[in-house]
Amino acid sequence: MRVILSLLLRAAVVLAGTALATFTLLWHAPGDPALAIALARFRSVVPDAVIEQVRVEAGFDAGFWPAFLSWLGPILLGDFGQSSVTGRDVWPELVTAMSYTFPLALSGLAIGVALSIPLALLATRHPGGWLDRFAVALASIGVAIPQFWLGLLLILLFAVQLGWLPAMGARTPTHLILPALTLGLTVSASLTRILRSGILEARGRPFLPAFRRRGVSEAHLTRNHIAPHAAIPVVTVFGLELAFLLEGVVMVEVIFARPGLGIFLVGAIEARDFPKVQAVVILAALLFVTVNLLIDLLYQVIDPRIGDRDA
Amino acid sequence: MTIIATGLSAARSGRIILHTTDVEIRRGERIGLVGASGSGKSTLGHALIDSLRAQGASVAHVPQSPDEALDPLRSMAFHWREAEQALGLALDPSRKQKLFAALRIEDGDLRKRPWGWSRGMQQRFVIAMALIGTPDLLVMDEPTSALDPVVAAGMMDLLDRYLSDRRTALLLITHDLGLAAARVLRLMVMAEGRIVEDAPTPDLLRVPRTEAARSLCAHRNWLALPC
Repeated sequence: MRVILSLLLRAAVVLAGTALATFTLLWHAPGDPALAIALARFRSVVPDAVIEQVRVEAGFDAGFWPAFLSWLGPILLGDFGQSSVTGRDVWPELVTAMSYTFPLALSGLAIGVALSIPLALLATRHPGGWLDRFAVALASIGVAIPQFWLGLLLILLFAVQLGWLPAMGARTPTHLILPALTLGLTVSASLTRILRSGILEARGRPFLPAFRRRGVSEAHLTRNHIAPHAAIPVVTVFGLELAFLLEGVVMVEVIFARPGLGIFLVGAIEARDFPKVQAVVILAALLFVTVNLLIDLLYQVIDPRIGDRDA
Repeated sequence: MTIIATGLSAARSGRIILHTTDVEIRRGERIGLVGASGSGKSTLGHALIDSLRAQGASVAHVPQSPDEALDPLRSMAFHWREAEQALGLALDPSRKQKLFAALRIEDGDLRKRPWGWSRGMQQRFVIAMALIGTPDLLVMDEPTSALDPVVAAGMMDLLDRYLSDRRTALLLITHDLGLAAARVLRLMVMAEGRIVEDAPTPDLLRVPRTEAARSLCAHRNWLALPC
């Protein structure tokens, strides 16, 4: 119970820090946000009076802390405010964007897991054998290839040359295939490497020979002793993998012109739409903190020694 | 019943670390296997166990450290259940109670994982696990090196009594001649992958014939240790 409370407290601190950091960054970013908003709104030369009006409207004139608090307050109540450019509520637009992004992220993750587990199992059957070296090489190449290039190659092959799959937009479920594949291939590359080394390390645990001499069968040993040890690094990396996934989603959505959080965020940054940018960052931070919280709780089940000291 | 293993040998990366050896152990006999580090004691122990297991004999093994016998992610109860199942035995709470009482670990919380127990208790738990199947031979590899001398002596006493009651043979692998001398009636001395001397304990201590045995006797520490 104490462990859970301290984990929750830590999560709250991380979220508050993120909110402050984003706001500070945007506040001190070069250029006048009021001018940017006015330009985005009227698309022409704007007189100083209009810029000042925008500044007051957006609450930028009150100084850093009042502006920060007047922004943070409603967010705590679940109100992300209105777009400073269009004046429309941010939340419904955010929900629409997420409804495109989450299926993409989840299917990318699913493809990554579905590819990496069999590949890692095959590779570790004969460590150092040709299959193992092939898998390692494949995973290294996969980690090294930038997603924008991989995405373009897939578009060239499946959309341009073969004409099997659509390359742009998100109208039908088939539009999901290429972006999910781009994401999934990169995810599977890093997961394969981690799984492979996790399995090899788990197989080298010093207690295993004693279990064999005790008469424990290989199948039982694999299921009940090797698998849990191999799972620990995978669980650890999963939180990092999520960061990777979010970053990849933004990239992949832009390549495939898919409406979603990526396009939403890029558009908001270009328009200097503070409330939208902050909403995305806060959401991402919330997602991160939640996943890491779940991972920490999972550790309590698998191996309570991890994080025991500071919990 | 006499336990016989013949033609034991071992090599690692092309170098012979155990020359062909035969071992004969009578029922209930206590043997000490001593020698300097790297003389091949543990290798002989492992080869003996593997050979006897292949013959279908009932042998149990206690490794040097509980870290080499217990999975830190699994509870003690899990280990116990698994050991019983590996021997094809039905779950029997009274067997567990008897062994735990004999080794004085009744107070241990079985729901905890190994690192929730002290090392001394972990080691005794491992010994209790080794005795589940009432083996004909128990091979103990440096069983007390992780324990302080007082705890080690207490543990060996408990084990002594338990083994005598069941006439289980014991092969005690150690570099501590003092420990071996107090516990066994026959000593085998190893050097460079060979058994160089095999004699009753008092004879060997009185007249060590080989260089290896002489150097072990010269470095024994009789009075300081209670075991």
